[in-house]
Amino acid sequence: MTGDGMTGDGMTGLPRRRFLLGLGVLSGAAALAACADTAPPGPPAPGGPPASPTTSTAPAPTYEGDAALIALGAALSGLAGDLLGQAASGAGQGRYGAVPGVVSAFLSGAAAQHVAHAEAFNRLLTNAGRPPVDGYPLLVEPALRGRLVAAVAPVDLLGLAADVTATVSATVISIAGGVTEAPAVALAAGVAPVAGMHGATADFLLGRPPTAPADPTAGALGPDALTV
Amino acid sequence: MRAPTDVPILQTASSLVELTSDTYVSLQGLAYGGGASALVPIRTLLAAAVEDLDRARRDLAQATREAGGRVQTSPDPAYAPVVAQALPTVRGPGDVVGLALTLEDVLAQTLVRDVVDLSSPDVRRTVAGHATAAARRKALLLTLQTLLSTGRAELVAVPPDLVALPPAAGTVGFPDVLFPTEKASPATEGALR
Repeated sequence: MTGDGMTGDGMTGLPRRRFLLGLGVLSGAAALAACADTAPPGPPAPGGPPASPTTSTAPAPTYEGDAALIALGAALSGLAGDLLGQAASGAGQGRYGAVPGVVSAFLSGAAAQHVAHAEAFNRLLTNAGRPPVDGYPLLVEPALRGRLVAAVAPVDLLGLAADVTATVSATVISIAGGVTEAPAVALAAGVAPVAGMHGATADFLLGRPPTAPADPTAGALGPDALTV
Repeated sequence: MRAPTDVPILQTASSLVELTSDTYVSLQGLAYGGGASALVPIRTLLAAAVEDLDRARRDLAQATREAGGRVQTSPDPAYAPVVAQALPTVRGPGDVVGLALTLEDVLAQTLVRDVVDLSSPDVRRTVAGHATAAARRKALLLTLQTLLSTGRAELVAVPPDLVALPPAAGTVGFPDVLFPTEKASPATEGALR
């Protein structure tokens, strides 16, 4: 008996289609109607102060309840995808010296999956009538971008990837327990292990021991980490 | 007290954890698993897995009791005969990795599916954590399997020689964008009657 045939089918093709099929299931049935604990802002109350002429643009979206946790998942997955993608791009441009092909492949592959996760979380929001998360509105973003700017060697990129994916994994595990709607639980349940696999790969490449964290939610971000 | 409907789910999860842990202990007793001739990454993975699974066993037992059920301490009845048949055929590190990979994949897929079905937020969080731990081990096993398949055992080292590793070793550990569940065991498989 071997593990052959028990695993996925590669980075492209079938797994991607299977994922999208899964999302189709996840996104059905007005998925997160109940997650909208508060209605979107409506027009000003009669007799209230006139709208400021500077408020012609839409107000920044706010998220509460399940929506806040889903937005957190979208923002953090998106940030992880952007950071690792930029790391891969910089590696290709020679910014970090000679980067082994295995490191570049890891960064690109993990980045693509984080981006797909962000898209999936955003799809849950839009299915519930909420705006998708725009950019990476997180308090941790400046510090993490600072680490990428300070990176000078492949080992710095792997260290950043290990830390970022650990944060994603812990946060999404926490989200899986915190959300109430089944589609959101299912998405978080499917995303957290994949983020953990990114972390395990980074740890292996760094030569770190294969030890899972004793507290899988240690270092998790909460909704208060969002800046919207 | 947690929902009684959670009990069979937790008992089946426990039975898979029992089997996987028992198998790792058996593999540790083999030369290619935990013996002097074992490759370092394989030996350390087996030791770490036993520790992780001990924690999973305790957490699942506590959750089962809190849901009003009896704790399942027997190995999964569907896969135990398969393991019993496979263990005597282990002849090298590739077999060690292959057997562990098969069990970890079933365990992780079952736990991921369980997160969706469990009623308690706290237990969902706990099980999601153990699903992620199993997925981490699966990732490493997939990577080791790929490296062993090259026939160059020197690539399976700590730390690895990054320049010598094939690029595929950087991505083979996470083949699916969303963790699959089609091989998840049914909730009744390891339930106590």
